Amino acid sequence: MPLMPKRVKYRKSQRGKVKGNATRGNTVSYGEFGLQALEGGWLSAEAIEAGRVTAAHFARGEGRLYIRVFPHKSVTAIPAETRMGKGKGEPEYWAAVVKPGMILFEMAGVPEAAARDCMARVAYKMPFRCRFVSRRPNI
Amino acid sequence: MAETVVLVAKDRSGRGSHGAKKLRQQGLIPGVVYGHKEATVSVALPHDELFKAVKAGARVIDLKQGEKLQKALIRDLQWDYLGKDILHVDFARVSADERITLDVRVELRGTAAGAAAGGVIDQPLHNLVVECPVISVPESIRVNIAELQIGVAIHVRELTLPPGVVVKNDPDAIVVQMVQKQVEAEPTVAAVPAATELAEPEVITKKKEVPEEEPEK
Repeated sequence: MPLMPKRVKYRKSQRGKVKGNATRGNTVSYGEFGLQALEGGWLSAEAIEAGRVTAAHFARGEGRLYIRVFPHKSVTAIPAETRMGKGKGEPEYWAAVVKPGMILFEMAGVPEAAARDCMARVAYKMPFRCRFVSRRPNI
Repeated sequence: MAETVVLVAKDRSGRGSHGAKKLRQQGLIPGVVYGHKEATVSVALPHDELFKAVKAGARVIDLKQGEKLQKALIRDLQWDYLGKDILHVDFARVSADERITLDVRVELRGTAAGAAAGGVIDQPLHNLVVECPVISVPESIRVNIAELQIGVAIHVRELTLPPGVVVKNDPDAIVVQMVQKQVEAEPTVAAVPAATELAEPEVITKKKEVPEEEPEK
């Protein structure tokens, strides 16, 4: 089941803009390898779930997968063939706001070659360009 | 222990982001040298040489400024948003007979015995805070996990450390452990929530409906 918040303050949110690059959440923190977004945008809860299922299927239970993004934002839509007006649409899906540089998934407990192959599969499910990253030197 | 690297640093006069940007276009990295109650000096270093040294795991380097050669610890590195390039470097002056505190990577060695029995390695600590002499900074703390079974953990107190190295972390902290692989069960028909159950999250600012009282006659 796709991720979504348990409790929210407001049902609907304004769209906003994805400005700038990631200054937080742009390093591999929990695992050894990760998948980094090279473009910004909205990552739907369904896409996160698709990535998780793909990684779980490919890894066959080996290692650990960490999901570093969470869909906090509700995205509304108005039904097809509806006249303009009558207020804002109803929440359609939940999305995570992703800035360029953010780490989306991390893996641990698998060799680099396996993690690279796994993340390549996951990257196919993402709506933007991604790259495989390892931990930085610990300085 | 990493080999000693000699980096040639030039004094730089230009300050601010504009000056730093110009330096980076020339293949140099802006940096700063401080410590030992001496004046803070702004320097510029060749990008490729510094990058190579960082990738090789160098922590203490010999910094050559003109005729002066001094030992310096790479205290901090500023990376770009993708983590590809170094933007700025901080050096702290150190002397050879000094003891320093810094983060050192944990390196797992061997194939865990518990992995064959369906275990997964969980490593809560990737770095350790260690105190060591400047001249013998370990590249990594090696942990042998060849005999690690499911349900067994290696704590900080159990680590074998190089001579002269003291770990500052909590001795009872777990460095690495072998946990049972959690197999995700396929959702059965009963477990899949119905469409009505896939409701929206609870709205905490929602006004509660107060039942209207009947007007008294």
